[in-house]
Amino acid sequence: MPRVLIVDDEEHIRTLYKLELEDDGYEVFTEYSGLDLSAKVARTSPDVVVLDIKMVDGSGLDALQELRDKYYDLPVILCSAYGSFKEDIKSFAADYYVVKSSDLTELKKRIGEALESHIPNS
Amino acid sequence: MFDWIIENPDNVTEADIIVGIPSRNEADTIAFPTQQASLGLTRYFPDKKAVIVNCDNFSTDGTKEAFFSAPCQVPRIYLSTPEGVLGKGNNFRNLFRLICDLNAEAVVVVDADLESITPKWIKNLGEPIFGDYGYVTPIYLRHKYDGTITNNIAYPMSRALYGRRVRQPIGGDFGFSGELAKFYLEHDSWSEATAHFGIDIWMTTLAMYFRKPITQAFLGRPKIHRAKDPASSLGPMFREVVGTLFSLQSTLFDFWKDVHRSKPTAIFGFGLGESEEPPPVSVNTTALFSKLHDGYENFSDLWREAMTEETFSKLEEVLAADEKRFELPPVLWAHILFDMSVAYRDRLTNTDNLMESLAPLYFGRTLSFVKSTMEMGLGQAEEYIDEQCQCFEREKPYLLKRWG
Repeated sequence: MPRVLIVDDEEHIRTLYKLELEDDGYEVFTEYSGLDLSAKVARTSPDVVVLDIKMVDGSGLDALQELRDKYYDLPVILCSAYGSFKEDIKSFAADYYVVKSSDLTELKKRIGEALESHIPNS
Repeated sequence: MFDWIIENPDNVTEADIIVGIPSRNEADTIAFPTQQASLGLTRYFPDKKAVIVNCDNFSTDGTKEAFFSAPCQVPRIYLSTPEGVLGKGNNFRNLFRLICDLNAEAVVVVDADLESITPKWIKNLGEPIFGDYGYVTPIYLRHKYDGTITNNIAYPMSRALYGRRVRQPIGGDFGFSGELAKFYLEHDSWSEATAHFGIDIWMTTLAMYFRKPITQAFLGRPKIHRAKDPASSLGPMFREVVGTLFSLQSTLFDFWKDVHRSKPTAIFGFGLGESEEPPPVSVNTTALFSKLHDGYENFSDLWREAMTEETFSKLEEVLAADEKRFELPPVLWAHILFDMSVAYRDRLTNTDNLMESLAPLYFGRTLSFVKSTMEMGLGQAEEYIDEQCQCFEREKPYLLKRWG
């Protein structure tokens, strides 16, 4: 069962994503903060991380930068209410960027694509 | 393998970090990147043994003298191919040999015609190599019409084939490890095109193939160099970049056939202050349209043979439109490039002729890109390029089917 870590400071978003993704067969973990994200990833060993950008205690983009140093190939999907962060070069380090919506079709599609991506050894 | 010409006035025998500046008749520009490289090395790598190397193509305009007379606080080495041996790739081959001889851990390479380089470029391209990374490519702000070979061929093709999103695979300014230089020196895929302008895509592709951790260094300032209108100056660069891309595609099939979708590449280096707007690049759209139609006059038989019936038929539909209504959509462009790569593998015609026939189609795609992004800012144009790349990834099964 693929494991998804949701990082979002809004409780209702975490609850919505958890319920919907569990219905789709994912094992879901939630965190309310992106601080010390590497440790949270080490603890939960997710196959994909869904990361909010604008959180009360810091930026998801900065958390992503820190995460990439340790988890080079871990799929990360940025999920934000704001489309404008897509133009920030830091967002290039994410697998996908999804604008938040109560309809999770796009997010679920991107999670599936991120899990499918594969580069073999040479 | 040719001999090199070397001048090593400081008797450098070992180095931790090398900055390489490839050149051919760059006497009027090379002093500035040399000076900036020196400042970068002394400021950010004070404890490392450093050397700046001008890897030259036997320039006759005084490049060597300009290099040695530039203000510089670190040792310098001048390296050249013998008279008559040209090509940026041959300069790099000399550099790879020197890297191995000096047992360098990290290498930074910057273009000799750079006007916007700062000492921090050396830091951001070199520092990741002393960490966990094996290869560093640049991220700089470029005008949406600067780098059309990158935007419409090198980036979408390398991303779809090898699965790594490297935004500037032929940026010209790189960092790489000494270990990777050894791999480059020993790899058997070297070709005539690689020896010239194909070297950048060759190095990036092999770094992806060897699964070296790659990061993209944010350089803040735009790349200001001799940007050119794609309609007026294609030159040998197109033939050599695309030729190398197609050649590696054949060599590395067993690798890329199993690549699904793509993965992002880490970004390194922020805090460079406010980013500057890149200088404008003008494009002559009428010339692009005209060159596409000239290409149809000259190469339609070859195109018909190289492309599937469906692709060629769609291309003819596109060609029936006037300039105002003209559009060559990303899906059709992906199919054209995929078909041409198969024609390259099958040696449908000689390489020069195939590349000459592809150039007008590239002009057509460039025209369509310019029209589609005309009203867009840099960010929106970037999204458009990303969507084109995703289209190439989605259409990869078409290529796999054609490859057989």
